Amino acid sequence: MKLIITQIIRFLLFVLIQSLVFNQLEIGIGIQVMIYPLFIMLLPFETSVLLLLVLAFVMGLGIDSISDTYGLHTSSLLLVAYMRPVIFKVFAPREGYDSIKEASFFEMGQRWFISVFGTLLLIHHLWFFLFEMFNMSELGLVLQKTSLSVPLSFLLCIFLQVIFVAKPKER
Amino acid sequence: MHNLIAFFRRFRIFMLFVLLQIFALSTYFKSLSFPRSQFVSSISTVSIAILEGKNSVTKYWNLGENNRQLQAENIRLRRKISSSFIRLNNKIVKIDDSLYQQHYEYIPGEIINSSCIKRNNFFTLNIGKNQGIKRGMGVFSDNGIVGVIHNVSAHYSVVKSVLTEGINVDVIIESSGAFGLLKWDGRDPSRGSISGISNDMKIKKGAKIVTRGGSGIFPRGLLVGRIEKLKPIEGKPLWDVTFKYSEDYRKIQNVYVVKNLLLEEQEQLEKKIPEDKVE
Repeated sequence: MKLIITQIIRFLLFVLIQSLVFNQLEIGIGIQVMIYPLFIMLLPFETSVLLLLVLAFVMGLGIDSISDTYGLHTSSLLLVAYMRPVIFKVFAPREGYDSIKEASFFEMGQRWFISVFGTLLLIHHLWFFLFEMFNMSELGLVLQKTSLSVPLSFLLCIFLQVIFVAKPKER
Repeated sequence: MHNLIAFFRRFRIFMLFVLLQIFALSTYFKSLSFPRSQFVSSISTVSIAILEGKNSVTKYWNLGENNRQLQAENIRLRRKISSSFIRLNNKIVKIDDSLYQQHYEYIPGEIINSSCIKRNNFFTLNIGKNQGIKRGMGVFSDNGIVGVIHNVSAHYSVVKSVLTEGINVDVIIESSGAFGLLKWDGRDPSRGSISGISNDMKIKKGAKIVTRGGSGIFPRGLLVGRIEKLKPIEGKPLWDVTFKYSEDYRKIQNVYVVKNLLLEEQEQLEKKIPEDKVE
């Protein structure tokens, strides 16, 4: 029960922070910060893909409707939700996933988080900017935007976890 | 039959993914030409509640700057009214009012949500159908044009801004009279370009660009920007004109919506042009 309430609050916070803060930021040189894939990442390991897809769809529509992107965020987040089990399987630790743990920076180790979340974020951003431009002659701009935005989004996601996601107690 | 059910069971996740993906992408690709509904849009009930909440905080951030702008506009207009003039000769002057008929009316509004980092940027206005806003009306501010109304609800509307692909506003370079279509390439929110200006036209840097007023969306002569760079396009007899917008779309707040009172007349007349002769 506690888990569900935490996830609902997290869901709302991610939608609001993304659409009211980060979608309004103008940093320049094509940087656009997107942190909401972190929500899909942090859902418990045993979450079914069906639920992941539905949550991604609702969250995407929420962000889209507030920032007038008409389905672009939804499309990219759906891809993240669909790819999550695949990427998790590729980078699975030898002893498998511990269902008590969360897929966060602290609980799963830095190396695992960087490779898994980095891949998901790269897929998300690339898909987002490709469909935003939807023009092969603008491929350079797509790559520029992706390569500049992914590191910043990634750093912010780690920063958010440092502040808001509880660290595991030292035993 | 059994096989079919087994197939569906096996691929249901992939099919759900594809189905939702089709929904999202079709909404996205249709949105530029015609919004499907007000549901996935900033004028849906929930989004508006959130945006109004945000706006009640952020609208004070630029208050000083906005007030200064409105005051400057007021002074400019006040200089033009009759009480600011003295009569130089005492002969009786007769003013025949029926010489002029109102052509455009302006509806004031406020932008409550905007962005300028995306490929296609839409602004949300706090006026809608109840204030007489319709799809296709022009929007401008004191400093320059803003865009065209894209989607309307009872109390709110969405503007397709000049920072959008395929906005195609009719513009004219004031000093030379050359006209073309305004384009935005999605890179810099303070610069746009004009297409279709043939290179035998004499154009100077710094020349004013204003609206042409051909399609009846904007009145003639609204400021758009100033030319910054001129480059011939290779292989075509055209100029590549880059200009700087006179409005800073990152700060914009107070706008006016153009209501063309004679639009219906113009449209009816233009409908009589035979179809095959239209380019």
